[in-house]
Order: sequence, then structure tokens, then C-alpha cells
Amino acid sequence: MNNLLLKTLLGLAAVFSTVAAFAATPLQLSSDVFVEKTVVRADGRKSVVLEKPNIVTPGDNLVFVVSYKNVGNTTASDFVVTNPLPSAVLFNGTSDRLEVVSIDGGKSWGILGNLRVVKGDGTVRPALHSDVTHLKWNLNQPLTAGAGGKIIFRGIVK
Amino acid sequence: MIAKVAPNRTALGCRIFSWYSLCALVAAAPFLTFEAAHAAGTLAGTDIQNIASATYETPSGPVTIDSNTVVIKVDELLDVTTISSDPGDVLTSPGTSGNILTYRVSNTGNGSEAFALTANVSNGGDDFDPTFQQIAIDTNSNGVYDAGIDDIYVAGTNDPVLNPDQSVNVFVITSTPAGPANGDRANVSLLAVAVTGSGAPGTSFAGAGQGGGDAVVGTTGADSTASGFLAVQATTLTLVKSATILDPFGGNRPVPGSVVTYSLVATVSGSGLLNNLVITDPIPSGSQYQAASITLEAASLTDAVDADAGNYNGTRISVAAGNVPAGQTRTVTFKVTIP
Repeated sequence: MNNLLLKTLLGLAAVFSTVAAFAATPLQLSSDVFVEKTVVRADGRKSVVLEKPNIVTPGDNLVFVVSYKNVGNTTASDFVVTNPLPSAVLFNGTSDRLEVVSIDGGKSWGILGNLRVVKGDGTVRPALHSDVTHLKWNLNQPLTAGAGGKIIFRGIVK
Repeated sequence: MIAKVAPNRTALGCRIFSWYSLCALVAAAPFLTFEAAHAAGTLAGTDIQNIASATYETPSGPVTIDSNTVVIKVDELLDVTTISSDPGDVLTSPGTSGNILTYRVSNTGNGSEAFALTANVSNGGDDFDPTFQQIAIDTNSNGVYDAGIDDIYVAGTNDPVLNPDQSVNVFVITSTPAGPANGDRANVSLLAVAVTGSGAPGTSFAGAGQGGGDAVVGTTGADSTASGFLAVQATTLTLVKSATILDPFGGNRPVPGSVVTYSLVATVSGSGLLNNLVITDPIPSGSQYQAASITLEAASLTDAVDADAGNYNGTRISVAAGNVPAGQTRTVTFKVTIP
């Protein structure tokens, strides 16, 4: 399944890379969303597969994939990717936890475990996934010509 | 460098950042306003739009780019819950019509949806089957059936349309046949089914969802049944008559001049209330009614037809004992003389 998945994603990345970017922009950025569905196989076992989001209902698990590629011939540095979370989506983490998040609409940033929410009565509680409004990845290595990658995060339809 | 963690279920992306480490940079991002979330979830037809942006440095200066926007439409989840609103059995009695059982139908899906209603009075496992009269919708939402105000339900004509998280009270009106005995119960169920479709969870109806998406059957199967119960309260009445004789000589022989005191004891058994108990008894031929001798529960009553409960009309005595709860007795006495 994983190989299939990777092939699917790589195929999609290939599609995106054929989309013409701005001539002056040597970097391409593309976004895609998949939905996790549980299917029951012939032998009765359940497996989770990623599908194009044909049917999406509240509670579904979404996988967001942001692909980037340097299609120019110069090196890009200080590469930062920002993804505002759609309002109908609850952040459900990443597998690598390299993201920083904002819980105030992108004004301030930090690792989720370090952020605090001031409640109405003045007391403070730790920030939760449900507080996240924006995600950001800071890649401090130069992105050389031809290099690229993917960022993946998960969400749940509220 | 942030330590890498175990791969997730989709096994994607674990290696993606292996070339990079984290540093602190600040980039501007648009502010998002959040809609109030429904318990039933995001409204059907809502578009989820995702767009990423990136900034980076080039030899010719900083650049910001946006990704394509991915739009996915939230489809309609078809879910419904029916519950019985009655705190316990609704009491009825043999031959009674207009028994009201109350239910509450809630749209637990995420789209506006019409629901078809069906009442079943013939469920197994109970003691009797009442006769279905009608289903009514609590038009004025006061939780009480108001004849003439609350709409009578006609399937396919006024199926209640509920928004997500919205509920409606539904009344099932039945009559009780003459047969059931005290304590018999009847199961009356109400079924609500999403008009768009129902079935196994996950069944989808292409293009049938609110807002242009698909409709998908949720965990409730898009149908829901609840049972309410009628319980029969029936009373039975027994009347026992006895006589005591007092003769003019202090004995108890029936001779001329003897006074006979008749005692009528009405006993109500079963459960509930016996309404408008009236005890009458003709004066035996060959005897004379002794004026003003009627008593009810040892209290004297007048012979005239007036405010009190008793009267004598020349041939019989009559006592209106009113409503008598099961388990109680009413005792009426009167006297006659043997001429």
C-alpha cells in the first residue's frame, strides 16, 4: 500500500511540476488533499487507504500534501512554507513534528507544546490541536536547483 | 535538530525533513476567522479550501509564492436520532381514545434534511395493540399536543425538515380497544427515516447532498426508532349488600315495626380511578323507606335532590359517590320499616 501511495503522490507531483510557474519564480509550490478511508478487504481485515476526496464528511481524516520544487537554476535559501488551516479542519498533527504552529491567526508562532491559551477567567491552559490556526515549516538548508520535497500534515473535518 | 518520530499510519513524509533542521523565522500569514462548529459537524456543502504559501531568499531578493488552492466540498452526512420523551408509561383505560405518546426526532447529520415518520402499533412482546389514530407534529414546540394547532402529519406532504442539530416533538395518537386488562402494556414505536436515503452506514447518494455534494449515510443508518408505552389502568367494582334487623322488642326478628338497615359496600379494585360511582337500590316491596335515613360513609344525606350526594324518589335511594380510587370502598346505608 505504501508503495502505491508513494507512486500516487509522485505521479501527482509530476503533474504539478508540469504546471507552468511564474517565469521569475524558480520555485513551485503545490497543495493537495487526500482523505483516509477504511476499507474491508476480501479476507475481512480492515485497511486504511488514501483516496482522492470524492466523499468527505465530518470526522473524516484528511492528509494535506504540500509539494515544493526548485525548478530554477539558482539556489533558494531561508525557505519557509506557511499553511493557514481551513476553518472546517481540525489540525491532527504531523508525523515528524517539525512544524511550528500559531494559535492566534499567524501573529505568533511556536511548538504546540510550548503555547498557552488564556481562558476567559484569566487562567491559562496548554494549547491543543483544536487551537491551531496556522502551520509553518522553516527549512534552513538552501534549496538548490532541482531539489524539492513534500510537507505532510493531517487534519480532521470538523 | 528535531528528533524524528515513528512513522504514522500512512507512512508518508517521515523522511521529508531529514535534510532540514528547524530555525526561527517569522512570516506574515492571513488571519482566519473561525465559524462556530456544530455538534453535527461542518455544514454540508461547505468548501474546505487549502492554500500554502512559501517565502524564500534568492540572490535578487525575497520572494513569496502561493500554491494552487485545493477545494474539497463537505458532503452531507445523513443521521437521525429518535427518542421517547415520555418519562414513563402513559396511562390509558379500555375504550379510551386520544392516547398521546411523545417522541423527539433530532437531525444529527450536517445538512438540512426531511424525515419521513411511521408509527407502529403492532410491535411484538407486549400485551395488546392499540389502534393508530394519527401522528401530529408539535407545531408550536411546547411539548404538549394541542388539537387544532399542531399539524397532523401526512407522509410525503409535511415531512418535518430539520436543520443540523435541530429537533422536533412528534406525537403518536392511539386509542385503546375494550379488551385489555389492568396492567396490560402496549409498545408504540415511531420510526424516522431521512428522505434523501438510508441504509448501511457509508451508503452514498451521488449529488443528493445539501450544497451540491453527495449524501452519505452516517452511523445511525439515517433511520431511528424509539418505543413509547401505554399501560392500562382498569378498575373492577364489587357491591355487597347486607341487612340488619332491629325489632320493637330489642331483638332481630322481621316482625311488623322492625327496622331493617341495609348496607351497600362498593369496593373498587384494580388500579386507577373509577369515575362517577352511583349506587342505587330500590326499596323492597312490603317495606317503607324511613325518611332521611341515607348515609354515605356514615354521614347523613337528605332525601331531596339537592347539593348533597343522596336522594330518595319514592321508589329507590340513590347516592352519587363520585370518583373512587382503586383500593377504596364506599359504604351506603339506608333504613326501611316493616309495616
